[in-house]
Amino acid sequence: MTEPIIRIENVHFAYNAQSENPIVALTDINLEVMPGEYLVIVGHNGSGKSTLAKHLNALLLPTQGDVWVNGMNTKNGAHTLTIRSTVGMVFQIPDNQIVATVVEEDVAFGPANLGVPEDELRERIDWALDVVDMQNFRHRAPHLLSAGQKQRVAIAGAMALKPQVLILDESTSMLDPAGREEVLSAVRRLNQAGTTIIAITHYMHEAVEGDRIVVMEAARTVTQGSPREVFSQVEELRALQLDVPQVTELSYALHQRDETFPPNLLTVEEIVAEIIRRKELEVAT
Amino acid sequence: MKDTHQAQPFIQVNDLHHVYLRGTPLEVTALKGVTLEIYEGESIGIIGRTGAGKSTIVQHFNGLLRARQPGKVILEGQDMSDPSVKVKAIRQKVGLVFQHPEQQLFERLVGDDIAFGPKRLGLSREERRERVRWAMEMVGLDFERFKDRFTFSLSGGEMRKAAIAGVLALQPKVLILDESTTGVDPRGRKDLLARILELHRHHGMTLIFVSPNMEEVASMVDRVYVIDDGRTAMSGTTREIFDRPDDLRQYGLGVPQVTTIAHQLREHSLPITRTPLTVAEAAEDVWKILNS
Repeated sequence: MTEPIIRIENVHFAYNAQSENPIVALTDINLEVMPGEYLVIVGHNGSGKSTLAKHLNALLLPTQGDVWVNGMNTKNGAHTLTIRSTVGMVFQIPDNQIVATVVEEDVAFGPANLGVPEDELRERIDWALDVVDMQNFRHRAPHLLSAGQKQRVAIAGAMALKPQVLILDESTSMLDPAGREEVLSAVRRLNQAGTTIIAITHYMHEAVEGDRIVVMEAARTVTQGSPREVFSQVEELRALQLDVPQVTELSYALHQRDETFPPNLLTVEEIVAEIIRRKELEVAT
Repeated sequence: MKDTHQAQPFIQVNDLHHVYLRGTPLEVTALKGVTLEIYEGESIGIIGRTGAGKSTIVQHFNGLLRARQPGKVILEGQDMSDPSVKVKAIRQKVGLVFQHPEQQLFERLVGDDIAFGPKRLGLSREERRERVRWAMEMVGLDFERFKDRFTFSLSGGEMRKAAIAGVLALQPKVLILDESTTGVDPRGRKDLLARILELHRHHGMTLIFVSPNMEEVASMVDRVYVIDDGRTAMSGTTREIFDRPDDLRQYGLGVPQVTTIAHQLREHSLPITRTPLTVAEAAEDVWKILNS
């Protein structure tokens, strides 16, 4: 059986753990991520999503419990560098992550610092810019790019380190619809090429992209499953005041009026097909 | 909805241009001809891709930017490029909330922060207290519980509410939200938007709503202007605008999922007559089709 690439065991974490008023951010988290998986973490501000993400590449260490990346415990300082080149991270605001004045130099920054030889460096830059579809911009200045393009450069920069896992921490929340679609399709391509994806998002129609969704609330994981399983729990999600995609909301509203209508459709294509199927059935009978 | 017997728009923008850092090597042309009008009591959406010029436009509405370049901004009949315009009076009428409103907080205590504007207006202590109480209630912050809290101890969502309350305490006629709910989680966002809609519908506050979230725009406003590359690219009622998904796509925008569903059903010759903007509308329309 394949080993999980990330294993989180009984993790507790508190900010200012030693002080009088520790702020508990993670409580009893247990989670495994398999290689090649596309995992989405959703939850409100302050639910612990970003804190959890920062545990996956040793930016934070658990107060209790253990995080294992490829069998390496993040608490072992000797593994920190290996872990950080295994798990790459892209944040919300690309400007904070871009360091160079030319796109290709920015992408080269990470691997060049690791001492990757010139020839391989060129290959990696080409590959990373290809994956995010930014080859045509390689000689441009990052600050003159659109937000979606900048975010794709930031992803390319993370990918040039050839991580096995890419974490996207609300990497689309500052983007307009077109920019969001650009980034999502780049992420989809990476995942198809075998990269494990862990995406943190507020946008429920983006969560539908994942193989598995984990919902966090008040420092705990409260539910998880495939998008269809999770979004079937419309009432539970509403109780947590989380959004469901409009398609699912509509599908659930129609189900309430007619029990035979499926309550948990996820995509526009699915619901349109279902409505058409029903109309055709009607004509046939 | 536009009130046709109102002769004069509250805000009128004619062929507005704006260049940042004019005459320097860093010169950027942000606006190349924006024309729009907003009547009192309307709710208006301004949408467009990142960098289209939306924020530059709304900053002209309260005198943060002045139209000294080609084009005019007329506010309540006053030409905003006239140097004798009293900006202080304008800002009392037109409240602007930015993208990161928590950065607009500066006092130590929440109550003092919200009272700052009314104090500058020279209102009495009693009047100030009432204004603060009202503004806090409007955004859903309990007056007694929050007025003496430290501003820095608030959560992100509470900070935003406090900042919006600070603008509301001036009782502006027009409230501009410039991507003020971006990054707020669904719980905070829904609550805040419902309260703002309440202010618009029941207190007649004119609402100008800038947002990258098409589903929010569809549920909040009656009319929409699409800005692209510094120009007015489209304008119409919200339903008219979202009925043109191909044009919107060209400007880097989309439509709500339920609207796409309606468009696709129409392509399959199912007779959805109006374009639904919300899940409730779509449920009604699809239900009608399934039972016709």
